Amino acid sequence: MKLHHFLPLVALGLVSCATPKNTPPASASQPGAAAKAPASGGTDALDDYGDTVVVSDPLEGLNRATFAFNDKFYKWVMTPISKTYTTIFPKPVRKSIDNAYENVKFPVRFVNSGLQGKFGRAGKEAQKFGVNTVAGVGGLFKVSDKIDSLKDVPAEDTGQTLATWGMGHGPYIVVPVMGPTTLREAVGSGGDYVLNPINWGFVFTGDADDWAWIPPTGNTIRAMPGQLDLYKEATANAIDPYTAVRSTYIQNRNAAAEQ
Amino acid sequence: MNRRPFIALILAAPLLTHGAAADEAQATLRSTIDEVLGIANGASSRSALASSARSVLQRRVSFETMTRRAVGVGWKQFSSAQQAKATDLFTTLVIRTYSNKFTPGQTATIDYKAATNPASGRVDVPTTLVYKGSRYSVIYRMEQIGGWRIADVVIEGVSLVANYRSQLDASFKQGGAEAVIRSLEQSVSRPS
Repeated sequence: MKLHHFLPLVALGLVSCATPKNTPPASASQPGAAAKAPASGGTDALDDYGDTVVVSDPLEGLNRATFAFNDKFYKWVMTPISKTYTTIFPKPVRKSIDNAYENVKFPVRFVNSGLQGKFGRAGKEAQKFGVNTVAGVGGLFKVSDKIDSLKDVPAEDTGQTLATWGMGHGPYIVVPVMGPTTLREAVGSGGDYVLNPINWGFVFTGDADDWAWIPPTGNTIRAMPGQLDLYKEATANAIDPYTAVRSTYIQNRNAAAEQ
Repeated sequence: MNRRPFIALILAAPLLTHGAAADEAQATLRSTIDEVLGIANGASSRSALASSARSVLQRRVSFETMTRRAVGVGWKQFSSAQQAKATDLFTTLVIRTYSNKFTPGQTATIDYKAATNPASGRVDVPTTLVYKGSRYSVIYRMEQIGGWRIADVVIEGVSLVANYRSQLDASFKQGGAEAVIRSLEQSVSRPS
């Protein structure tokens, strides 16, 4: 397998399934939005939101081994790449690169809003894309953050669409390099991959010309600092980092699907 | 006598108390956050923030409630000394978790949204935290525990209490209260 075929897969995992996303809440104010699980016996009457978030983890032994591998991989391979990137590019430049990649991902959010019947939200996504592309100079500046009606539109993706359609998570899986996912979210990531224009070089031309690997590889690298920060945050003060990441991932995805 | 205004008043009473509770809880939250941000803006390092914010947080956050819920069903089998010990360790861990997110010199802005009143004695305050150019959803769960106090924080859908419960539950199943305290001690003693 050629390396440049592998890199976009890494990008896909990092960007769309590995870790929490910035999906600010519109309707996340319901009690217990984050932790829905059968009550396992509370210690008091107000205990319902402390329940353990449940996901089936039949592959836990293998998952833990992969998790341990990933931990080293993030530390020894990805952190140096990420550090090199952050050293070369100053923060405002990185922010603009992030903004541009997120802006280009518009079809993922637009199509999935539509597939969930959230047409108002799809409309707002279109407005956001328009504003950020035109006033934000091709998406380099996130002008929509200054517009009240557009600043907190929850970002939809294919995993959330499948959840809305009634599909459960299925088993929890830790994928080498990419990190945590579930069967449903992995299928969702496949959908996001196809819908994301940065991968269209591969998607539409099959065995692509050499230029096709540039946008997804760029995406992988630009997303690394943020993804590594999230990973560090989820594990830094954990009792058991494996369980902490699993709980963080599942709660985050459940909350995103409910919005 | 026209009784209608009177009936309307009775009907509106629950709404009024609802609004009052939410306002009260939100006001408490705001003053807490303002106080902590004031400390954060003057703090030179993460550890300085953790130590200087501790007294404010202990007044406004019910760490005892958080610890009890994070431990879950096993809590009843803790002796009161074990409960006190676990609460103290968990407090340190939680404060460190949050002060680690802070970078000296960066200021945070918080947009408060309409609070909800999911149950009597409980108010959820959804907010958006804008920090270093990114927007994060943060819900503060407030409870009436001798005044309004924070009982859980939900960041991007992830509840602090639920997250630790999934971990401490396993420790408790392995070795009861002692195992929970041991694993908390290990986490606290690990350099952050």
